[in-house]
Amino acid sequence: MKMKKKSVSEWVKSGDPWVWLNAGAVAISVIMVIGLLLLIAVRGLGHFWPADVVEAHYELPGNQAYNIVAERVESVEVPAAQLREAGIDIPDHHKLMQRTLMKTGNRDIYGSDFRWVIDEYLTDVKRPEMLFTAERHEWGNLYGYLQSVKQDGQVVSETNDTTPTESALATWAAFESSIDRATDIFDEIHEIEKGDIGKINYGLERIRLEQRRLELNGELTPAAVADLAVERSQYDEEYKLLQQSLIDLYAKINRDTFVVQAMDGTVHELPVAKIVRAYRANAMNFGQKMAFYFAKLGEFLSAEPREANTEGGVFPAIFGTVMMVLLMTVLVTPFGVVAAVYLREYAKQGVLTRIIRIAVNNLAGVPSIVYGVFGLGFFIYFLGSGIDQAFFPEALPSPTFGTGGLMWASITLALLTVPVVIVATEEGLSRIPRNVREGSLALGATKAETLWRVILPMASPAIMTGVILAVARAAGEVAPLMLVGVVKLAPSLPLDGNYPYIHLDQKFMHLGFHIYDVGFQSPNVEAARPLVYATALLLVVVIALLNLAAVTIRNHLREKYKSLEM
Amino acid sequence: MSDVKTHSIDISAMQRSQQALRIEDESVCLSVNDLHLFYGEKEALKGIDMIIPEKKVTAFIGPSGCGKSTLLRCFNRMNDLVDSCRITGEINLHDQNIYAKGTDVAELRRRVGMVFQKPNPFPKSIYENVAYGLRIQGINKKRILDETVEWALRSAALWDEVKDRLHESALGMSGGQQQRLVIARTVAVKPEVLLLDEPASALDPISTLKIEELIHELKNDFTIAIVTHNMQQAARVSDYTAFMYLGDLIEFGDTNTLFTNPGKQQTEDYITGRYG
Repeated sequence: MKMKKKSVSEWVKSGDPWVWLNAGAVAISVIMVIGLLLLIAVRGLGHFWPADVVEAHYELPGNQAYNIVAERVESVEVPAAQLREAGIDIPDHHKLMQRTLMKTGNRDIYGSDFRWVIDEYLTDVKRPEMLFTAERHEWGNLYGYLQSVKQDGQVVSETNDTTPTESALATWAAFESSIDRATDIFDEIHEIEKGDIGKINYGLERIRLEQRRLELNGELTPAAVADLAVERSQYDEEYKLLQQSLIDLYAKINRDTFVVQAMDGTVHELPVAKIVRAYRANAMNFGQKMAFYFAKLGEFLSAEPREANTEGGVFPAIFGTVMMVLLMTVLVTPFGVVAAVYLREYAKQGVLTRIIRIAVNNLAGVPSIVYGVFGLGFFIYFLGSGIDQAFFPEALPSPTFGTGGLMWASITLALLTVPVVIVATEEGLSRIPRNVREGSLALGATKAETLWRVILPMASPAIMTGVILAVARAAGEVAPLMLVGVVKLAPSLPLDGNYPYIHLDQKFMHLGFHIYDVGFQSPNVEAARPLVYATALLLVVVIALLNLAAVTIRNHLREKYKSLEM
Repeated sequence: MSDVKTHSIDISAMQRSQQALRIEDESVCLSVNDLHLFYGEKEALKGIDMIIPEKKVTAFIGPSGCGKSTLLRCFNRMNDLVDSCRITGEINLHDQNIYAKGTDVAELRRRVGMVFQKPNPFPKSIYENVAYGLRIQGINKKRILDETVEWALRSAALWDEVKDRLHESALGMSGGQQQRLVIARTVAVKPEVLLLDEPASALDPISTLKIEELIHELKNDFTIAIVTHNMQQAARVSDYTAFMYLGDLIEFGDTNTLFTNPGKQQTEDYITGRYG
């Protein structure tokens, strides 16, 4: 026993426990980070996989039996007592029961598209090949058996089979080609509504503002009114043409309908135009599923959201996030560098500079929502409304810059991150050897020339380090953005084909806010949950990519100016 | 300077001319009158009076902390960078007081170039290092830059070694090459005076010898003032030598006389190695 005690104290003396402690702490951190990423990756990425659709017989004791057609979402074990309390009659010998969340879809028919079932009472589980899933523009997924496809009310193809017989497959083929046709027309309509009519609306708005501006300046002569009226009538004419073609397209797209039998046996006739895509998951092989998976993933990355953000893609949010961060970087870098250069190179080092440094460091610790409040109060209400009165009086009372927007959000985040850039740049400036400065000065360079040609290039890796930290912080920030310009659904991107192309005054979407909105403000939380994970993963990836780009630039600069090790 | 130099050690070039030098015969490049320099309260230079003769090499020797580097840095006002530094007295560069009010310090430093103890090339290409001083002056014509860079590198006996890699980073060169590059960079702006602050102290013997040889070549075109810890070096390269001790100029005269027949006891003690 004595021997052992001695060896323990020796072991402590040897320093090994510290090594173990540190290694353990590192290991735990790494495991937690990897675990977090894995969790959101698995939950998020699994969402796009075409899940099998099962058909089963479900009979709770004491309740009426019914048919269920659904996708399995998740399974949990629950104590039987809990279920008994909920009023379900469960035999005494059960302690734990497996309960499964089933996505039954057809929200328009049943009112909700999820329900919990107890596995024990699920019998006769089948995966019929003809069972199909249809994603719709509204009301979520539809599950059922296809019965017929109609054109203008006339049956084109029909079947009574629920097995892959020739007639069933022929009807399915007719259905698919009908969907393809409807999708093409839908794209055309979308193109006209968003693109062409959007442009006309933009032009009309411009004319209205122009007229209002002339009126305010007292320059509204009859000639000017006539000019504007001519322009307006041109737009009106274009609009009429487009509207006519829209009416035609709508008539075309509504030509086809299909009849579907839902799980409860009811039969419904629905327009094909409502379908985004339809597929028979049970009939797909692995390759087809992979292709489907990547198509869905592509849609997620490149499409606009549908159905209160719970379906479709997040492209506007990706675009908004990246654009806001880039704009913030463009703003914060010169500000931070100039401030750091002044503090380090020009200001007389003394009490005042020390106080300023302390203030800058503390600024980095101010909670971000405070910056949001400041951005709202100072930038938007004070500066923004001032700008509106000075430059955009014609648009009043509707605000241009006097409301949240891309520019204010970027400036607010730049303010939030400027301390990081200042501190990193100062650090870099202080590390530049004195003899390099002297070398430049001894050649007859002034201080400014020395700074510009030698010091700043040599400090650029440190500046980039600051920018990397700033990007990392800004891209993940949500709270202040909610006050200064982020919205749950922006009608258009802040960068488009309408002059002046970049719309700094426009509201925008952001991945971080999208997560919050989809996860917690959505009318259909169950349906949105996988999207929360997928969006979270995407946000992490976007930030990682932005950082990776900055790190690459920094390493390149470091390679170029590696004399600091001299 | 267009002939290709060989880098074998040229003994004859290193021997001083045997004719006696007299300070009174020299034309004056820099004259120092009653120069006092204070770092805060501490007086680092205590009333220096001397001249630096034109197109000759003047060496400053003395033990560490004697103020020889400080004096050298007064000649191009490098001490201005030290906040607590205060100077009285005057230094005239061709009868123009460089400490007069309104002196363009950048212009002064163009006329009085300086090479430091540690090689300090910029993290740029060899070419850009040499062209730096010219670009500062607004000279950006490629033809002029090319010519000057070649001339300066030849002057610093570096051209043959680097002509094939002018656009590679200067940081990849050896220490001796870097120091000669710094000399080339300084020479490129064609200053009147070259200040060398222990230019060979961080280098190996071969590189040191090359630098010394170079100094011998450069004195045809430039007035040179060199600070060195190495008395043999001072004896080898200089025409005149100043011995300083604790902020005072103890003795100043032609190198031969100072080393063979010093006038002051302190000088003799130092050069014979009794302290220092």
